[in-house]
Amino acid sequence: MEQEIRACLDQKRYREAFDLLLPEYQNKVFRLACAMLGDAALAEDLAQDVFVRIWKALAGYRGQSALSTWIYAITRNACLTALRKGAGRKEISVEEPGVGQAVEALSAPAEAPARGGMDVTGLVAQLPEKHAQVLRLYYMEEKSYEEVSRLLEMPMGTVKVYLHRGRKQLAQALARSKMEKRTG
Amino acid sequence: MACAEFEDLLADYAELSGESRLRVDAHAATCADCQEFLDALHAVDATLAAQFAGREVSAGFGQAVRRRVQRKTAVRRPSFIPELLDFVGWSAIIAVIAFTLYWASALIPISNEAAKAFNANAGWAVAAAFLLVSFLIGLHSFVELKY
Repeated sequence: MEQEIRACLDQKRYREAFDLLLPEYQNKVFRLACAMLGDAALAEDLAQDVFVRIWKALAGYRGQSALSTWIYAITRNACLTALRKGAGRKEISVEEPGVGQAVEALSAPAEAPARGGMDVTGLVAQLPEKHAQVLRLYYMEEKSYEEVSRLLEMPMGTVKVYLHRGRKQLAQALARSKMEKRTG
Repeated sequence: MACAEFEDLLADYAELSGESRLRVDAHAATCADCQEFLDALHAVDATLAAQFAGREVSAGFGQAVRRRVQRKTAVRRPSFIPELLDFVGWSAIIAVIAFTLYWASALIPISNEAAKAFNANAGWAVAAAFLLVSFLIGLHSFVELKY
Protein backbone atom coordinates (compact mmCIF):
# COMPACT_ATOMS: atom_id res chain seq x y z
CA MET A 1 0.00 0.00 0.00
CA GLU A 2 2.80 2.39 0.90
CA GLN A 3 4.25 1.90 -2.59
CA GLU A 4 0.90 2.75 -4.19
CA ILE A 5 0.63 5.88 -2.11
CA ARG A 6 4.19 6.87 -2.97
CA ALA A 7 3.51 6.31 -6.66
CA CYS A 8 0.54 8.70 -6.44
CA LEU A 9 2.68 11.25 -4.62
CA ASP A 10 5.44 10.98 -7.23
CA GLN A 11 2.87 11.77 -9.89
CA LYS A 12 1.47 14.62 -7.75
CA ARG A 13 -1.91 12.87 -7.47
CA TYR A 14 -2.32 14.12 -3.92
CA ARG A 15 -6.08 13.59 -3.61
CA GLU A 16 -5.73 9.95 -4.64
CA ALA A 17 -2.78 9.45 -2.30
CA PHE A 18 -4.77 10.91 0.58
CA ASP A 19 -7.78 8.70 -0.19
CA LEU A 20 -5.48 5.69 0.05
CA LEU A 21 -3.64 6.67 3.21
CA LEU A 22 -6.67 7.74 5.25
CA PRO A 23 -8.25 4.28 5.67
CA GLU A 24 -4.82 2.70 5.93
CA TYR A 25 -3.60 4.81 8.85
CA GLN A 26 -6.73 6.15 10.58
CA ASN A 27 -6.84 3.47 13.27
CA LYS A 28 -3.10 3.54 13.89
CA VAL A 29 -3.14 7.31 14.28
CA PHE A 30 -6.19 7.13 16.54
CA ARG A 31 -4.67 4.43 18.77
CA LEU A 32 -1.39 6.29 19.06
CA ALA A 33 -3.27 9.47 20.00
CA CYS A 34 -5.50 7.52 22.37
CA ALA A 35 -2.50 5.95 24.10
CA MET A 36 -0.68 9.26 24.43
CA LEU A 37 -3.67 11.35 25.54
CA GLY A 38 -5.55 8.67 27.47
CA ASP A 39 -8.91 9.91 26.20
CA ALA A 40 -10.71 8.37 23.22
CA ALA A 41 -12.87 11.41 22.38
CA LEU A 42 -9.91 13.78 22.46
CA ALA A 43 -7.87 11.27 20.48
CA GLU A 44 -10.45 11.12 17.70
CA ASP A 45 -10.58 14.91 17.41
CA LEU A 46 -6.81 15.06 17.37
CA ALA A 47 -6.62 12.27 14.78
CA GLN A 48 -8.84 14.41 12.52
CA ASP A 49 -6.50 17.36 12.99
CA VAL A 50 -3.54 15.11 12.20
CA PHE A 51 -5.06 14.07 8.87
CA VAL A 52 -5.81 17.68 7.96
CA ARG A 53 -2.15 18.48 8.71
CA ILE A 54 -1.06 15.50 6.63
CA TRP A 55 -3.18 16.74 3.73
CA LYS A 56 -1.67 20.21 3.93
CA ALA A 57 1.86 18.84 4.15
CA LEU A 58 1.48 16.06 1.58
CA ALA A 59 3.06 18.07 -1.24
CA GLY A 60 6.11 18.64 0.96
CA TYR A 61 6.66 14.96 1.75
CA ARG A 62 9.94 14.09 0.09
CA GLY A 63 10.07 10.42 0.97
CA GLN A 64 13.26 10.60 3.07
CA SER A 65 11.59 8.42 5.69
CA ALA A 66 8.88 5.77 5.42
CA LEU A 67 5.42 7.25 5.03
CA SER A 68 4.28 5.55 8.26
CA THR A 69 7.24 7.03 10.16
CA TRP A 70 6.34 10.48 8.85
CA ILE A 71 2.66 10.08 9.78
CA TYR A 72 3.45 8.79 13.29
CA ALA A 73 5.90 11.63 13.85
CA ILE A 74 3.19 14.17 12.95
CA THR A 75 0.80 12.38 15.33
CA ARG A 76 3.30 12.30 18.21
CA ASN A 77 4.10 15.98 17.76
CA ALA A 78 0.39 16.87 17.70
CA CYS A 79 -0.15 14.82 20.88
CA LEU A 80 2.83 16.40 22.66
CA THR A 81 1.52 19.86 21.76
CA ALA A 82 -1.95 18.89 23.04
CA LEU A 83 -0.45 17.53 26.26
CA ARG A 84 1.58 20.70 26.77
CA LYS A 85 -1.51 22.83 26.21
CA GLY A 86 -3.48 20.64 28.60
CA ALA A 87 -3.67 21.08 32.31
CA GLY A 88 -0.26 19.49 32.81
CA ARG A 89 -1.40 16.26 34.32
CA LYS A 90 0.32 15.56 37.60
CA GLU A 91 2.04 12.18 37.78
CA ILE A 92 0.87 10.32 40.82
CA SER A 93 2.14 7.03 42.16
CA VAL A 94 -0.33 4.26 42.82
CA GLU A 95 1.09 4.32 46.35
CA GLU A 96 -0.58 7.69 46.99
CA PRO A 97 -3.80 7.75 49.04
CA GLY A 98 -5.94 9.42 46.35
CA VAL A 99 -5.46 6.45 44.09
CA GLY A 100 -7.22 4.18 46.57
CA GLN A 101 -10.62 4.72 44.99
CA ALA A 102 -9.41 3.70 41.57
CA VAL A 103 -7.79 0.58 43.01
CA GLU A 104 -11.05 -0.12 44.75
CA ALA A 105 -12.85 0.12 41.42
CA LEU A 106 -10.39 -2.32 39.87
CA SER A 107 -10.50 -4.84 42.68
CA ALA A 108 -14.25 -5.01 43.16
CA PRO A 109 -15.26 -6.27 39.73
CA ALA A 110 -12.29 -8.67 39.66
CA GLU A 111 -14.08 -10.66 42.32
CA ALA A 112 -17.37 -10.44 40.49
CA PRO A 113 -17.60 -11.71 36.92
CA ALA A 114 -19.24 -8.51 35.63
CA ARG A 115 -16.47 -6.02 34.95
CA GLY A 116 -18.60 -3.11 33.85
CA GLY A 117 -17.71 -0.86 36.77
CA MET A 118 -13.91 -1.02 36.52
CA ASP A 119 -12.22 2.33 36.09
CA VAL A 120 -9.07 0.91 34.55
CA THR A 121 -8.57 3.97 32.42
CA GLY A 122 -8.50 6.09 35.55
CA LEU A 123 -6.09 3.76 37.29
CA VAL A 124 -3.72 3.57 34.32
CA ALA A 125 -3.83 7.37 34.08
CA GLN A 126 -2.34 7.55 37.57
CA LEU A 127 0.80 5.76 36.42
CA PRO A 128 3.78 7.80 35.20
CA GLU A 129 2.88 9.16 31.77
CA LYS A 130 5.30 7.03 29.72
CA HIS A 131 4.27 3.84 31.53
CA ALA A 132 0.60 4.62 30.93
CA GLN A 133 1.18 5.35 27.23
CA VAL A 134 3.08 2.12 26.70
CA LEU A 135 0.48 0.10 28.62
CA ARG A 136 -2.47 1.47 26.64
CA LEU A 137 -0.78 1.05 23.29
CA TYR A 138 0.45 -2.46 24.12
CA TYR A 139 -3.10 -3.68 24.70
CA MET A 140 -4.52 -1.68 21.78
CA GLU A 141 -1.92 -3.12 19.41
CA GLU A 142 -2.63 -6.75 20.29
CA LYS A 143 0.36 -6.99 22.62
CA SER A 144 2.98 -6.29 19.98
CA TYR A 145 6.21 -4.84 21.38
CA GLU A 146 7.35 -4.03 17.84
CA GLU A 147 4.30 -1.90 17.08
CA VAL A 148 4.50 -0.05 20.39
CA SER A 149 8.18 0.60 19.79
CA ARG A 150 7.55 1.81 16.23
CA LEU A 151 4.56 4.02 17.06
CA LEU A 152 6.11 5.67 20.08
CA GLU A 153 9.60 5.66 18.50
CA MET A 154 10.98 4.09 21.64
CA PRO A 155 13.60 1.32 21.90
CA MET A 156 12.04 -2.10 22.38
CA GLY A 157 13.96 -2.63 25.63
CA THR A 158 12.47 0.56 27.05
CA VAL A 159 8.98 -0.53 26.00
CA LYS A 160 9.46 -3.83 27.86
CA VAL A 161 10.76 -2.10 30.97
CA TYR A 162 7.89 0.42 31.09
CA LEU A 163 5.35 -2.32 30.48
CA HIS A 164 6.85 -4.53 33.17
CA ARG A 165 6.82 -1.69 35.69
CA GLY A 166 3.30 -0.57 34.79
CA ARG A 167 1.75 -4.03 35.03
CA LYS A 168 3.64 -4.75 38.22
CA GLN A 169 2.44 -1.54 39.86
CA LEU A 170 -1.16 -2.24 38.90
CA ALA A 171 -0.98 -5.86 40.09
CA GLN A 172 0.66 -4.83 43.38
CA ALA A 173 -2.06 -2.25 43.97
CA LEU A 174 -4.77 -4.79 43.22
CA ALA A 175 -3.22 -7.56 45.36
CA ARG A 176 -2.72 -5.13 48.23
CA SER A 177 -6.30 -3.95 47.98
CA LYS A 178 -7.61 -7.51 48.08
CA MET A 179 -5.46 -8.29 51.09
CA GLU A 180 -6.70 -5.20 52.92
CA LYS A 181 -10.29 -6.21 52.22
CA ARG A 182 -9.72 -9.66 53.65
CA THR A 183 -8.02 -8.39 56.80
CA GLY A 184 -10.73 -5.79 57.24
CA MET B 1 3.22 -9.06 49.26
CA ALA B 2 4.69 -11.44 46.71
CA CYS B 3 8.22 -12.67 47.32
CA ALA B 4 10.65 -10.09 45.94
CA GLU B 5 12.62 -12.84 44.25
CA PHE B 6 9.61 -13.99 42.23
CA GLU B 7 7.80 -10.72 41.67
CA ASP B 8 9.75 -9.78 38.54
CA LEU B 9 9.50 -13.30 37.15
CA LEU B 10 5.76 -13.27 37.78
CA ALA B 11 5.36 -9.92 36.02
CA ASP B 12 6.97 -11.47 32.93
CA TYR B 13 5.11 -14.76 33.34
CA ALA B 14 3.77 -14.86 29.77
CA GLU B 15 7.29 -14.63 28.38
CA LEU B 16 8.99 -17.12 30.64
CA SER B 17 10.68 -20.15 29.16
CA GLY B 18 9.29 -23.57 30.05
CA GLU B 19 11.82 -24.24 32.80
CA SER B 20 11.40 -20.83 34.46
CA ARG B 21 7.65 -21.12 34.26
CA LEU B 22 7.72 -24.52 35.99
CA ARG B 23 9.88 -23.04 38.76
CA VAL B 24 7.50 -20.09 39.19
CA ASP B 25 4.44 -22.37 39.11
CA ALA B 26 5.99 -24.63 41.74
CA HIS B 27 6.68 -21.65 43.97
CA ALA B 28 3.27 -20.05 43.42
CA ALA B 29 1.59 -23.33 44.33
CA THR B 30 3.06 -23.14 47.82
CA CYS B 31 3.14 -19.35 48.32
CA ALA B 32 -0.26 -17.71 48.78
CA ASP B 33 1.12 -14.17 48.35
CA CYS B 34 2.77 -14.97 45.03
CA GLN B 35 -0.34 -16.81 43.84
CA GLU B 36 -2.38 -13.74 44.73
CA PHE B 37 0.03 -11.50 42.87
CA LEU B 38 -0.17 -13.78 39.84
CA ASP B 39 -3.98 -13.74 39.96
CA ALA B 40 -3.88 -9.95 40.19
CA LEU B 41 -1.63 -9.81 37.13
CA HIS B 42 -4.03 -12.01 35.18
CA ALA B 43 -6.92 -9.76 36.25
CA VAL B 44 -4.99 -6.66 35.18
CA ASP B 45 -4.14 -8.25 31.82
CA ALA B 46 -7.70 -9.38 31.17
CA THR B 47 -9.16 -6.04 32.15
CA LEU B 48 -6.73 -3.95 30.13
CA ALA B 49 -7.16 -6.19 27.09
CA ALA B 50 -10.96 -5.91 27.37
CA GLN B 51 -10.66 -2.16 27.83
CA PHE B 52 -8.22 -1.31 25.06
CA ALA B 53 -7.97 -4.11 22.47
CA GLY B 54 -9.32 -3.48 19.00
CA ARG B 55 -10.07 0.21 19.45
CA GLU B 56 -11.02 1.85 16.21
CA VAL B 57 -12.21 5.23 15.04
CA SER B 58 -15.96 5.84 14.89
CA ALA B 59 -17.88 5.07 11.70
CA GLY B 60 -18.08 8.67 10.48
CA PHE B 61 -14.41 9.45 10.99
CA GLY B 62 -13.31 9.18 7.34
CA GLN B 63 -16.19 11.35 6.12
CA ALA B 64 -15.54 13.97 8.79
CA VAL B 65 -11.88 14.19 7.77
CA ARG B 66 -12.77 14.43 4.07
CA ARG B 67 -15.25 17.24 4.78
CA ARG B 68 -12.60 19.17 6.68
CA VAL B 69 -10.02 18.57 3.99
CA GLN B 70 -12.39 19.81 1.28
CA ARG B 71 -12.95 23.01 3.23
CA LYS B 72 -9.19 23.48 3.34
CA THR B 73 -9.21 23.33 -0.50
CA ALA B 74 -6.47 21.50 -2.27
CA VAL B 75 -2.86 20.96 -1.38
CA ARG B 76 -1.07 24.27 -1.54
CA ARG B 77 0.74 24.55 -4.81
CA PRO B 78 3.96 26.54 -5.02
CA SER B 79 3.59 30.16 -6.08
CA PHE B 80 4.52 31.28 -9.59
CA ILE B 81 5.46 34.75 -8.34
CA PRO B 82 9.19 34.03 -7.70
CA GLU B 83 9.53 32.62 -11.22
CA LEU B 84 7.72 35.62 -12.70
CA LEU B 85 9.98 37.99 -10.78
CA ASP B 86 13.02 36.03 -12.02
CA PHE B 87 11.85 36.51 -15.57
CA VAL B 88 11.09 40.22 -15.21
CA GLY B 89 14.31 40.92 -13.29
CA TRP B 90 16.64 39.19 -15.72
CA SER B 91 14.85 40.73 -18.70
CA ALA B 92 15.22 44.22 -17.22
CA ILE B 93 18.92 43.77 -16.40
CA ILE B 94 19.77 42.36 -19.80
CA ALA B 95 17.66 44.97 -21.63
CA VAL B 96 19.46 47.79 -19.77
CA ILE B 97 22.86 46.31 -20.68
CA ALA B 98 21.81 45.87 -24.34
CA PHE B 99 20.51 49.43 -24.73
CA THR B 100 23.53 50.86 -22.93
CA LEU B 101 25.80 49.05 -25.38
CA TYR B 102 23.67 50.28 -28.30
CA TRP B 103 23.78 53.95 -27.25
CA ALA B 104 27.47 53.69 -26.40
CA SER B 105 28.19 52.36 -29.88
CA ALA B 106 26.29 55.30 -31.42
CA LEU B 107 28.60 57.76 -29.59
CA ILE B 108 31.72 56.37 -31.26
CA PRO B 109 32.60 58.64 -34.23
CA ILE B 110 32.73 56.61 -37.44
CA SER B 111 33.41 58.30 -40.76
CA ASN B 112 32.65 55.54 -43.19
CA GLU B 113 28.90 55.23 -44.03
CA ALA B 114 29.06 51.45 -44.49
CA ALA B 115 30.76 51.05 -41.14
CA LYS B 116 28.07 53.27 -39.56
CA ALA B 117 25.30 51.09 -40.99
CA PHE B 118 27.08 47.95 -39.79
CA ASN B 119 27.52 49.44 -36.33
CA ALA B 120 23.78 50.25 -36.09
CA ASN B 121 22.80 46.74 -37.16
CA ALA B 122 25.28 45.19 -34.74
CA GLY B 123 23.69 47.23 -31.95
CA TRP B 124 20.26 45.85 -32.71
CA ALA B 125 21.68 42.34 -33.06
CA VAL B 126 23.31 42.56 -29.63
CA ALA B 127 20.07 43.89 -28.10
CA ALA B 128 18.07 41.08 -29.70
CA ALA B 129 20.57 38.47 -28.49
CA PHE B 130 20.38 39.78 -24.92
CA LEU B 131 16.59 39.77 -25.00
CA LEU B 132 16.61 36.21 -26.29
CA VAL B 133 18.97 35.14 -23.47
CA SER B 134 16.73 36.83 -20.87
CA PHE B 135 13.71 35.05 -22.32
CA LEU B 136 15.51 31.68 -22.14
CA ILE B 137 16.56 32.31 -18.52
CA GLY B 138 12.96 33.13 -17.66
CA LEU B 139 11.70 30.04 -19.45
CA HIS B 140 14.24 27.84 -17.63
CA SER B 141 13.04 29.32 -14.36
CA PHE B 142 9.42 28.38 -15.17
CA VAL B 143 10.39 24.85 -16.16
CA GLU B 144 12.28 24.31 -12.92
CA LEU B 145 9.24 24.81 -10.70
CA LYS B 146 10.02 23.26 -7.36
CA TYR B 147 7.32 21.06 -5.86
